Amino acid sequence: MTDPVGGSGENEPAPIERDSWGRWFGRPGRSLTRRLIWLASAWIVLALVVAGWALTTQYQETALRRLGNVLSDTIDEVVFASNASPDGVVVAEIKDARTLRALSGKYWAVAEPAPDGSLRTLVRSPSLAGETLMVPDELPERLEAAFGETISYNASGPLRKRLRVAASMKRLPGRDAPLVFMAGIDRSNIDADTRQFATFTWTALLILGAGLVIAVFLQVQIGLRPLFGLRNEIADVRKGKAARIVHSYPLEIQPLAEQVNRLLDQNQETVERQRTHVGNLAHALKTPLSVMLAEAGSQKGELPDLVRRQTEVMKAQVDHHLRRARAAARAHVLGERTPIAEVLDEMAVMLERVFEEKGVEIDWRAPDNLGFRGERQDLQEILGNLMENACKWAQRRVRISAGPTHLGQMVVVVEDDGPGLPAEQREAALERGARMDETTPGSGLGLSIVVELTRAYGGRITLGDSDMGGLKVLLELPAAEA
Amino acid sequence: MRVLLVEDDADLSRQLKLALGDAGYAVDHAADGEEAWFLGDTEPYDVVVLDLGLPKIDGVSVLERWRREGKTTPVLILTARGAWSDKVSGFDAGADDYLTKPFHTEELLARLRALLRRSAGIASATLSCGGLRLDPRAARASVNGEPLRLTSLEYRLLHYLMMHQGRVISRTELVEHLYDQDFDRDSNTIEVFVGRLRKKIGPDRIETVRGLGYRLTPLAGESDPA
Repeated sequence: MTDPVGGSGENEPAPIERDSWGRWFGRPGRSLTRRLIWLASAWIVLALVVAGWALTTQYQETALRRLGNVLSDTIDEVVFASNASPDGVVVAEIKDARTLRALSGKYWAVAEPAPDGSLRTLVRSPSLAGETLMVPDELPERLEAAFGETISYNASGPLRKRLRVAASMKRLPGRDAPLVFMAGIDRSNIDADTRQFATFTWTALLILGAGLVIAVFLQVQIGLRPLFGLRNEIADVRKGKAARIVHSYPLEIQPLAEQVNRLLDQNQETVERQRTHVGNLAHALKTPLSVMLAEAGSQKGELPDLVRRQTEVMKAQVDHHLRRARAAARAHVLGERTPIAEVLDEMAVMLERVFEEKGVEIDWRAPDNLGFRGERQDLQEILGNLMENACKWAQRRVRISAGPTHLGQMVVVVEDDGPGLPAEQREAALERGARMDETTPGSGLGLSIVVELTRAYGGRITLGDSDMGGLKVLLELPAAEA
Repeated sequence: MRVLLVEDDADLSRQLKLALGDAGYAVDHAADGEEAWFLGDTEPYDVVVLDLGLPKIDGVSVLERWRREGKTTPVLILTARGAWSDKVSGFDAGADDYLTKPFHTEELLARLRALLRRSAGIASATLSCGGLRLDPRAARASVNGEPLRLTSLEYRLLHYLMMHQGRVISRTELVEHLYDQDFDRDSNTIEVFVGRLRKKIGPDRIETVRGLGYRLTPLAGESDPA
């Protein structure tokens, strides 16, 4: 740590955006939520696409296999009903209505390989009504290669319907030349079924996918909620609503919360140390200054006068710079909240006693729940100096009222019934080192300290006329939300 | 007039002793907290000048001890740090005035004169109500022996209530007796001050009589020695 308390200016973090859409969409690298959701969504989509493809393919395969069984049965029936001779084949009547009715969608045919490599149809089912079953060019060779086995293929049949066709080359008793038995069936039904299944499957998967993405979204939201909670708590610390992280968090981020607390402690410690150093220095310098002042004051002459004057200057400088250092060390402490009513009360009790001879009466008003966002010592310093000044100049009465304003600020008004301050002197009074109260001994830098502390807290101070006749000091300071 | 000067810096002590002597005081000097406490405890001083930063026992602790033992000698504290928190803790311990170093000797003498004037002729014509005590001459009050820190308005309110304890006092009457003629008379402020007073003396001593006003009574079980 090189400069734990240095650095002027406000390091305002970006305001906390709750539930804005920008958090979910946009560059995923910037947001943990977005990263988790995108990653999970990509995975879900991939898994569902693979599952959908597998299901529809499997369904179609099964349907085609069932169709293939029907075709094999038909071929078997035709084979059994066939009576072969070297001259030809006679197929007895097959009692299947669909093979009888013309263009019913179920067909069979018996053919023989021609010398030119094509197939010549010998017998065909009545349903074919004179048409032939389409034969791909290379079919005869493939049938020959796989003699006795069934080969299935798609073909275009009568009425341009899509057919599933099975063919098998066999040799029948009573004929040496091989015969090709073919059976075809309209596949538009199963195509429609497959399409319907696919539509249904993809719809279901789409809904499932959407559901899963929503579930992931919720899971991430709920899962990351402690993180948002921690963030809000840290914001509270910064705003002065809390001094430390007090809630306990899940195992994964509890160490983070503890580290933040340690950082706060360390910050506090550093400030304390700084303040102690500064205080020690002040103490060390002030007693010698007192000695010089008293010694010079007890003698007459030019030298004692000079020493006395210069000692006053030194005293003012020491006061000014030490307090300035303290002011800088302070306003950076986080998480402090000081009830203003308490400070006003203790100051009023004390100052009334100090000014008892004069009979000064301090009437203060402040809501009990109004808090100053900062250190007690600093508020004591600000109010102490202002109230002491007011008591010094007042005839009898000092009035202080404090109240919250909008935007986390509060206003404190300190007034007295003294002589007041002419408008042209007010500017000078607020300036550094200005000593307008020179005529009242033992004071000096009161107001400039107030100005510096107020500025260190980002507050404002204005001087004006009080309706009580004297000076009115109007302070704006940061308030801590109760 | 006897004054006890408690200061650890030799040069400053010498100067102050001279100045106080010239002003006609009989000065005793203590250079550390232990000696100061012993002297203050055994000798009847009229006023004490007490530096807060002392060896052995610090000034605030010395003062606290004296006050605990019932010493009422007026005490002016000298503080080098000049921070208001130091002054407040000095007052909490029982100080009557403060002076920030470095200071002019004349200022110190003037303050001492004022303190002596104030404390002159303290007689104990005290008022009491249960554990509450109020000394009108010294303008001090205590509850169960603990000194109360009251502002002058709170003190006047308590004084009036104690003078008329047991009787219901209307807000108007209180306003008339609390404020000067030129003060803003707002009877709501009475509620504010009664609230603050209750915080300091305990919530149950001042009773609100609806529509009529307030009444101060001893707590149940408290015997009234007056």
